[in-house]
Amino acid sequence: MKNLFKKSIIQSLLISTFAFTCLGTNAQNAVGEPIKIGFSTELTGPWTFFGTSCAAGLKFAVDEINSKGGVLKRPLEFIVQDNQTNPTQALASVRNFDVNDKVLAISGTTNSDVSLAMYGYAEQNKVPFLVPVAAFPQLTKPGTKYTFRIEPDAVGWGYSMAKFIEQRKPGATVALMYSDAALMRAIFAGFKYQAEKSKLKVVTDIIFPQGSSDATVQAAQVKAANPDFVIISGAGAFDAVLNNQILDLGIKPEQIVHPFGITTQVFNWGSRSVGSIYGTFFDQGIDNLPKEGRDFIAKYDSANNRPPSYVENYCYNTPYIFKSAIESAGTADREKLREAFSKMNIKELTSGTPIHFDANGARKEYMYFMQIASVEGKRNYKSKQLYYIEWNPEVIPVYDLVK
Amino acid sequence: MKIKSQYWLLILVLLLLPFLAKDNRFLGFILGITYLNVFWASGMNILYGFVGLMPLMFAAISGIAAYALLYFIAEWHISFWFALPIATLFAAFVGVLLGLPSLRLKGFYFTLCSLIIQSTLTLAFIFFPKFTNGDTGINQISPPLWMNEPIKGYVFEVILAILAVLGIGFSFLIYHSKLGQRFIAIKEDDVLAESLGVNVVINRVIAFFIVSIYAAIGGCFYATYIGFISPRSFDVLSSLNIWLFVAFGGKATIAGPVIGALLLAPLPFLLQSLEAYKDILSGILIILITLLMPGGIYGTYLAWVNSKK
Amino acid sequence: MDSLLLLIASTVSTGLLLGAIFALVAAGVTIVYGCIWLPNASNGQFFLLSALVAWGLTSSYGLNSFTACLIVLLAGVVLSLIFEKLLFRRLYGVPDRNISYFVITLGLTQIMSGLFSMTFGKWSDQFSLPPLIPGVTMIGPFPMTNNRILVLVIAYLSLALLFVLLRYHPLGRAVRAVFQNREAALLRGVNVHSIYKISFVLGSTIIYLGGLLYALAYSFDLTVAWTMSITAFAIMIVGGPGSVIGALVIGLVFGFTQAIVSNFTSPTVATFSYLIAMLLILLVKPNGLFLK
Repeated sequence: MKNLFKKSIIQSLLISTFAFTCLGTNAQNAVGEPIKIGFSTELTGPWTFFGTSCAAGLKFAVDEINSKGGVLKRPLEFIVQDNQTNPTQALASVRNFDVNDKVLAISGTTNSDVSLAMYGYAEQNKVPFLVPVAAFPQLTKPGTKYTFRIEPDAVGWGYSMAKFIEQRKPGATVALMYSDAALMRAIFAGFKYQAEKSKLKVVTDIIFPQGSSDATVQAAQVKAANPDFVIISGAGAFDAVLNNQILDLGIKPEQIVHPFGITTQVFNWGSRSVGSIYGTFFDQGIDNLPKEGRDFIAKYDSANNRPPSYVENYCYNTPYIFKSAIESAGTADREKLREAFSKMNIKELTSGTPIHFDANGARKEYMYFMQIASVEGKRNYKSKQLYYIEWNPEVIPVYDLVK
Repeated sequence: MKIKSQYWLLILVLLLLPFLAKDNRFLGFILGITYLNVFWASGMNILYGFVGLMPLMFAAISGIAAYALLYFIAEWHISFWFALPIATLFAAFVGVLLGLPSLRLKGFYFTLCSLIIQSTLTLAFIFFPKFTNGDTGINQISPPLWMNEPIKGYVFEVILAILAVLGIGFSFLIYHSKLGQRFIAIKEDDVLAESLGVNVVINRVIAFFIVSIYAAIGGCFYATYIGFISPRSFDVLSSLNIWLFVAFGGKATIAGPVIGALLLAPLPFLLQSLEAYKDILSGILIILITLLMPGGIYGTYLAWVNSKK
Repeated sequence: MDSLLLLIASTVSTGLLLGAIFALVAAGVTIVYGCIWLPNASNGQFFLLSALVAWGLTSSYGLNSFTACLIVLLAGVVLSLIFEKLLFRRLYGVPDRNISYFVITLGLTQIMSGLFSMTFGKWSDQFSLPPLIPGVTMIGPFPMTNNRILVLVIAYLSLALLFVLLRYHPLGRAVRAVFQNREAALLRGVNVHSIYKISFVLGSTIIYLGGLLYALAYSFDLTVAWTMSITAFAIMIVGGPGSVIGALVIGLVFGFTQAIVSNFTSPTVATFSYLIAMLLILLVKPNGLFLK
């Protein structure tokens, strides 16, 4: 009797200690000194819309990671600061991150001007910089050591668009209408380079000055040229003007290709654009989306009343990419982190696309081309995947095409 | 020419601050930017406060100097210290050339012209990427070399402090010189001044040239201190900002622009949480100053002191 | 042949539409400058304000465009009266007030643009108004939306109305009298300060109307304020500050130039050309082309 009693007490003690330890570990999320990453984004200023969407996506991931134990058993902390879409402000933030907060790495920004300013600091001061959303090729120009860009570069978008049209209709005639902004110039430099190699014929090439309001005349020119496809890309609201006026003149939606499309753009193109095609890196209509991708879409949609697109997606994936790199580095050290990034070879959580950086920090590139199937006001839309392509960043002389 | 003890105190404080901020690089950065703005404000004051013309193309001239500096350094492989005077003279020359026709116009028309010139130059910065790298801007600008070592850390702030003090000193000299008297006479009543033998246009050109020098030198140091420039670094909002320092602090005084810059320049960096309101606050300040305190803080203070006597 | 007709029809329609909107905004700016000596640097922000509020009314409250526009115009009158009383009235007697006004309105520009990016800027990155009426009409080979036709009609009716008002209506003539000769108007018993008030409200309302018409015809974002400001000033200066005829004619010229520009010149040249034109006029003939 006494022995049994003793045994059961010891057993229950053991069990309860064990249970307590387990529960204790689970209940205490991540504990210890947080791993800090400086994140500068556009919460105010002209890019406020993209910056706030990005910050929203980021927050989901950070919360998820920390509730499951953090990184290396430490909480992952993103210090988010507003840069007002101003490069000088961003530089001040980054300096602050580096020197005062002593962050492990920096990240952030959806604006290319700002990203280039941060890039300069990162390279000069040897701070790993993971850029979620910025498409300028110069961010990974040859010689780059500390900067890693997740989004494919804009020149590559043009390249992939030419390849897409080539397989959709070999020998097609194409009309181009776009704004004279740095992003568009990069995209179309890539497109025109590859179009020649893909035996596509550019019949009209129209560039609009910044501040243009009306494209009716140019739309008439394009209609007269009778192209198979019309590629349009306007800066800001001009994109919707181009789209509407081209459709007004009788060009069919199926002839229209947009180099890139985020959710709000699709809403703005509206249901009259059903049949139009756009490029993207993440979309709810992509075939074979992994469960994590579908979960992210559902979560974002219910919180923000619209589906996420690639901006939110990249910002959501950023903490996970950091997690993977830090864990592979084994410790929160800048040089080891840099090495881990350069050796990285994983799949993006939400889409399954490859994450692998070349010697300059440019990721292996890819693009989806989707066709709009239906648009429900400003709430939701459906689209169908038409094409997917992967390529290496330097498949075309990207750093020569755009300074 | 008596130099009041308050001025010496001010200069001493300005020169000492970088040493206090030696270990805090963030505060050091803010200090550096403030010194640049003090320098710029002193310069703009010469045209706005002394002569009475509001040059909205100030930032564009800084931009020309900055881009020219980088171009000369890259193409001719000379050091910053050699390129500095060349770029400065170049920018000042271009500035005067552009501003020359409008210097004979009256106040408002001059301001409007300078606004247009500023906008045109900002567009020029964007549309001539061969010299300026366009929208993308130029990053990773290295700091100047001193005895073959790049200037780093708080040493750069000390240099900027010296620059600011020199700028203040120079504007002080002008204020108390015959040239300065002529400037003020023109501001008060240009017709009268002309009738008294003061060549209004020539003097305005001289003032404009001096102010352009300030803008240009500031632009060169700005580029190497921040390490990044783009057309947006030198747009009309930058000109307006500097104008605000002068107007807020008190135009036509020596200390006014300094006070204005010291108070306002660090704000956007220190009040990060009030980011969104920056535009609104500066707009409100501009309106309040124009309506209620045309003499600025220091000007109003001086008037109050005088009225007590 | 068809494509040539198409090109001509589209050029004419764009030139007329843009020209009318430019003319309206420039007329609004020039009336206020000519009469009160108030160069309104924030005219672009006013332009944008009416467009944004109309968008807000149609998208959040589901109002149709007609109603939204009417509400905005009425509210605009009230807002103009408030601005006039709070900001501008103080300086009526001051001789060199145009510089002060210019600076004040620059400050106002900053405030409004800051407010817009904190509010509308976060809600959407671009805006437009639902069309007034649906449907498309074929003008020869050229399909033109009925909405665009209606906007054109409203724009030209407004311009004509403005012209008639200024030339024939006693209030309009008083405004012109004050502009042409302040002292003489005072002598003739015209209550100059109340004319100032009327001309400010009139000028601002025309700008609001321009903003609404623009929003009906196009999609826009926050950058349109700055673009429109520079354009309006350019037109006012080239046409002659204070000259409504100048604003109308030059506005139309600018509108047609914008329509054809991408066909014949590079974008860089196009953007520079009107800035250079403005500068040349200021230097050579500061009174513009239409004033004596």
